[in-house]
Amino acid sequence: MRPISGRLRSALRRILGARAPHIGEQLFVAAGQGGAGLGNLAFSVVMARMLPPEGFAVLVAFLALYLLIHVPASSLSAGSALEPTSATRHRWRVAGLGAAIGVGLIAAAGPVSAITDLPPALVVAAAAALPGAGVLAMERGRLYGRRSHGRVVASLLAEPAVRLTVAVALALTAGALGASLGVVLAGYVALAVASSGPRRPVSAGDTPATGVGGTIIIFLLVALVQNQDVLLANGILAPRAAADFAVLSTLGGIALFAAWNIPMVLMPRSAAAEQQAVGTAVALAAAVGVTVTLAVWMLAAPLVGLLFGERYVHVAPLAVWYVGAMAFLGIARVLVAHRSARGRIWTTAVVVTVAASLQAASIWFLADDVLGVVTATGAATVGLTAVLGVVVGMEQRSATAMDVPRRTRESSLWRTLVPLALITATGFVVRVVFVTRGLWLDEAITWSQATMAFGEMIEDVRFGDVHPPLYHTVMWAAVRALGESEFALRLPSIIAGTIGLPVLYLVGRDSYSKRVGLVAATLGVVSPLWVWYSQEARMYSFLLLFSLLAVWLQIRVLQRPRAIYWIAFTLTVALMLWTQYFALLQVATHYGIFLVVAWIRRRRGRPVRGLLVGVGISLLAVVLMLLPLAPLLQDQIIAYQNRSGAAFEPGTPAAGLGPAAEGSRTYRLAANVIWALTGYHAAATMEQLAAAWPLGMLAGLALLGRGPWRLPTGVIGAAAMVPFTVLFTASWLQANLFEVRYVIVITPLLIVLLARLIDTAARRPSALAVALAVAAAALGWALTDQQTNRQNPRIYDFEGELTAIARDADRGDLLVYQPPYIDPLIRYYAGDVRHRPLDHGVPELDDYEDVYLLAVPNLIEGDRDVQETVDELTGSARVVEDPSARQVLVWRFR
Amino acid sequence: MTSDPRHTTPTWDPNEPTTLRRRGIVLGSFGAVAAAWYIGWLIQPVRVGTWWLYFPLIAAEVFNMTQAVGFWWTVSSARTAPTPAAPAIGYAETDVLIAVYDEPINVIEPTVAAATRLRGGTINVVLCDDGSREELRVLAESYGVRYIARESSAGAKAGNLNNALAATGAPFVAVLDSDHVPEPHFLETTLAYFDDADVAFVQSPQYYANHPSTDLAGAAWEQQSLFFGPIARGKDGLGAMFCAGTNVVFRREPLESVGGYPEGSVTEDFELSVQLHERGWRTRYVPEVLVKGLGPESYSAYVGQQDRWARGCLAAIPTTLRARLPWHLKAQYLLSSSFFLTGWTFLVYMSLPIIRLLTGHQPIARGEADLFLVHFAPYFGLALLTVSIAGVSGYTFRAYAVMFANFWVHIRASLAVLLGVGGGFTVTSKEGTAGPEPGAVLPGLALILVLAGVSLWALASSVDPSTLNNVGFALLHLVVLVRGVLPALRSAVVTGQPAASEQMSAGTTSLSTEA
Repeated sequence: MRPISGRLRSALRRILGARAPHIGEQLFVAAGQGGAGLGNLAFSVVMARMLPPEGFAVLVAFLALYLLIHVPASSLSAGSALEPTSATRHRWRVAGLGAAIGVGLIAAAGPVSAITDLPPALVVAAAAALPGAGVLAMERGRLYGRRSHGRVVASLLAEPAVRLTVAVALALTAGALGASLGVVLAGYVALAVASSGPRRPVSAGDTPATGVGGTIIIFLLVALVQNQDVLLANGILAPRAAADFAVLSTLGGIALFAAWNIPMVLMPRSAAAEQQAVGTAVALAAAVGVTVTLAVWMLAAPLVGLLFGERYVHVAPLAVWYVGAMAFLGIARVLVAHRSARGRIWTTAVVVTVAASLQAASIWFLADDVLGVVTATGAATVGLTAVLGVVVGMEQRSATAMDVPRRTRESSLWRTLVPLALITATGFVVRVVFVTRGLWLDEAITWSQATMAFGEMIEDVRFGDVHPPLYHTVMWAAVRALGESEFALRLPSIIAGTIGLPVLYLVGRDSYSKRVGLVAATLGVVSPLWVWYSQEARMYSFLLLFSLLAVWLQIRVLQRPRAIYWIAFTLTVALMLWTQYFALLQVATHYGIFLVVAWIRRRRGRPVRGLLVGVGISLLAVVLMLLPLAPLLQDQIIAYQNRSGAAFEPGTPAAGLGPAAEGSRTYRLAANVIWALTGYHAAATMEQLAAAWPLGMLAGLALLGRGPWRLPTGVIGAAAMVPFTVLFTASWLQANLFEVRYVIVITPLLIVLLARLIDTAARRPSALAVALAVAAAALGWALTDQQTNRQNPRIYDFEGELTAIARDADRGDLLVYQPPYIDPLIRYYAGDVRHRPLDHGVPELDDYEDVYLLAVPNLIEGDRDVQETVDELTGSARVVEDPSARQVLVWRFR
Repeated sequence: MTSDPRHTTPTWDPNEPTTLRRRGIVLGSFGAVAAAWYIGWLIQPVRVGTWWLYFPLIAAEVFNMTQAVGFWWTVSSARTAPTPAAPAIGYAETDVLIAVYDEPINVIEPTVAAATRLRGGTINVVLCDDGSREELRVLAESYGVRYIARESSAGAKAGNLNNALAATGAPFVAVLDSDHVPEPHFLETTLAYFDDADVAFVQSPQYYANHPSTDLAGAAWEQQSLFFGPIARGKDGLGAMFCAGTNVVFRREPLESVGGYPEGSVTEDFELSVQLHERGWRTRYVPEVLVKGLGPESYSAYVGQQDRWARGCLAAIPTTLRARLPWHLKAQYLLSSSFFLTGWTFLVYMSLPIIRLLTGHQPIARGEADLFLVHFAPYFGLALLTVSIAGVSGYTFRAYAVMFANFWVHIRASLAVLLGVGGGFTVTSKEGTAGPEPGAVLPGLALILVLAGVSLWALASSVDPSTLNNVGFALLHLVVLVRGVLPALRSAVVTGQPAASEQMSAGTTSLSTEA
């Protein structure tokens, strides 16, 4: 009988298959890295206890400089992991270069000391580390390349060991300087450990691998993505905000450090074309990233307080997002390593360069606070990871198809699921992280209704709303399960918006190919309008999901008319109609498509009876499922008419193409198309986007001859365009009917068509990578602008203004507001402040300590009431605060 | 076995789409309305911005709109009558003339071999050598075909064929270029059309069998497929098909009645067709691949071919205008010959954003430019849709881009015709070149640099909507130009298959053995 450990090992091998050795070595090195991290942390803790505060501050500054030297130098590891002999070839050259820089640093010790506040002696100590820094990185890279993981771990652990012994001892005698010298010595000991042991001499027959230099440059570019935000933040933010960001940057380093060596372990495996290694490495990096992000999520505030002091605790809520962004960068490093090892240097460099450039441009031009910088970096790392993930996934698939025997193709699911899971997870993170606005009026109405008793809510929907009750019902349950926070209110939409991504993949896959599906889903991650409504506590995210499902299921029904697809299609169609009445347009289109297809098939002599019977039964079932809705709809219509047709929801401002364009149906058409593709923007940006229409001609030309007409293209095109065109036509009767959110499915469907265009125009993986990067970057830019540009007319800062009032107002104060129907927002954010609408009359200032007047001119038919009130109150009181030109205006009178 | 692409099965069916006529009528109806809406908006005095830009724009738009309407009219006229199965009068004697100039043996030999395997009555294969090459005489002898050489090369290809016509006498004459390999049933199929005693010639498609081998050959083929697909079928419906120079069978009587091929033109086939139509003869088109040839594999060869076609067709415009032809035939000829003025319109389109960005002058009045989109988009979209649907997706972006990037060939040719600067007949080379040929696309490269430079300069100055709109146009042209010159900047073989010339070199030995 075999021992338990043997049986366990066998079982693990069965489960993990060929991945077992990959996982084993990765975990082994990760454990070493973790041990080194803990050791270094222990050293810092000991020093914090041992040294006086000023001495510890000096040591921390020295460690920062030491890290600054080692992070770029570590890019050399990637080169020698790919080509181990390069370490032997070039170590003296690199050491010499390091020594030369070190001498330069010593020569400049005076100015550097002045800039960094480091004593000159410590600058010299840092200079002493320079000759060894590059060589250490190369030697460790050589060990990765030779798969000498034991010696790598020994080298990693040697460093904290020396720090905790020799450096501590030196600190006892020479304080911070001694500790610093100990740190430098620890680096050289780690180098000695890495360099020891047998070394294969370089022979004349050793031909250098190609792409080593390129690989080093790519890793330097990744290091740029990692670090440039701190530099740029210093340039654009106020000193206090820059310091806040520096705290986040330091925390983000934890996520990267934890996954630091995974790419190095991977590279020799990828170079040897071991297909499964990259999947293992990505999974491990993702696991590490998720773990660190979760840990920061749970411990952010105490961690920041402990490490940086209480004055930085206010940045803790942002820490989770920034650490998450760095976790993505950890995954991106793995993907970069894989592609570099496979010789795909040029395209990888282009993708990373584009990401770095966009990150820098976004920070420089768009970000004006810490959140903006975090958002820009998050967009860059998420976009970089998504693009690389899709490309690597596709390359894995094609490699499997060409090279791998049939018996190993069982993992094709793995190759589809991993990128798709990555895309979906990224989509979720983007939708959660990029929330840059508080609740809007409609969302507050959602909250107001969801917090009522169920029967009361239904009555409110029946007589005061214009939507079917499915979403309200979901929210009623969600509020009871999740609470009433902004995040809780938006979570159902976020989830629906995220589930839409794999559904979009299915639409692309079943219409064209898996490749198109993955490209489409990747673009869906950063689709601005999709993200916008995924973050809105309204029913549009649900509408998008159900509408997209209906498109997919109709394609399935037409391709494989199985009962399960018919049933699912019918249920989905009913759910659409229970979510939003405008879904009727798309539903009618679907049944119209069935009839057209039946007509075409009949003309071609194919049987159509089954299809027509299916349509009949489905239609009947939908009608039956809608019957319970009929009385409610009838009451809603009567109630709507009794309100004299006044729109319950205020019309969204025609934030279109500038003042001249507003009101023109043609330009509303253009604005809706631009919104569908690029989201909501400031009027000036909309004008610029509209001006780029000649590129649409280019798209038209590029579509010439793109394969024969396909049935799915017809379904997608009709489902996107027919409801859109009907609404446009209906806008002649009532202008505010034409809003892209009512037919929001047009957004993912246009993305599928865009993905199809990219797929057919860029056949080779390298071309696809570039095209996808360009498209994702363009959408990413549009998303960033939509979310962070405060000139976006759709962004109303009710949250900022009302929470400020709630914070400052006393019991004797009064808040009056106009228009009256923003009452739910007032109650959500400033419910404790005494408040009433302006309609009830101008308040007597003598009755109150302070009077706040909040008005939203865009939502008011002419702001005469507000102006009259302001004039009246101004005449008898002092204006304490006067509003600037914002969407939400607040006056304070005393 | 041989790897010559001319022995592979064609991947194109010119009969698709079967509903071409109906599609043409529907799309043409909408297209005509859209065109009228656009031009009606454009030609109002209030639209005039800078007059010296406005009128070239109007001229370009009117010209292209005429071509578009002509295209809709042509495809709406596609013939729907069934094709005859076999000649009722039986098969007569046919002379098969293979015109040779300086093509390599490995290109000619498969054509000769295939010609000897033709079916359909008595067939006399004649190798018409314009270069008096001994190796061709030996080749002709080895296949048992007649060899005719001539002392001079006067009249180029037309002179060569006329020389052979004088030395032969069968009632039907088939003409093949030396690189065009006929199917065994080429004559059986085409001769069936001569039951109609008024038919002077029957043309079949000019199929480029090497189109999968290089990017350029693919683009050239896509351009051909649009002509020999919907356009040729439409011309057949209108009785306006003209001779394409190869893959054609003539009735000798009308050919001799006009004195054989006209020797004063570089597109002798085009002018011959005009003359035959003038005398009341009818022409037919067979929408079936009966002969498989080779398209240009080098960019310089493509440029030479386009230059020759452009010069010949543009030079034929006065002849066409003078010809006593029914209006619809005259219109069809003018549509085809004036097509080679398209390069001028491309030059206008590319110049406008450059001038706007550099000087601020624009053809359409300020404040009107945005409305341009609303009126232009339906017309543009329907024109693209018609090409896409009528061409059954055979015509792609690269075909358009290659044509666009060679705008200067049209301009040079039209200036040469206007100034009376002659150019000799050049045979399109069927051999690829291994390396890049930037010299063949210098004007395109220069314009790319200008467009990019002006755009960057303008963006550095301003990012207002008007500038962005013009940069958008510049970018549109730039991308099309880049795609168009791309085949000249990379090695010929891009599709993973060796170039046709390489394949033929590999296959020649085995073919010779078979023979």
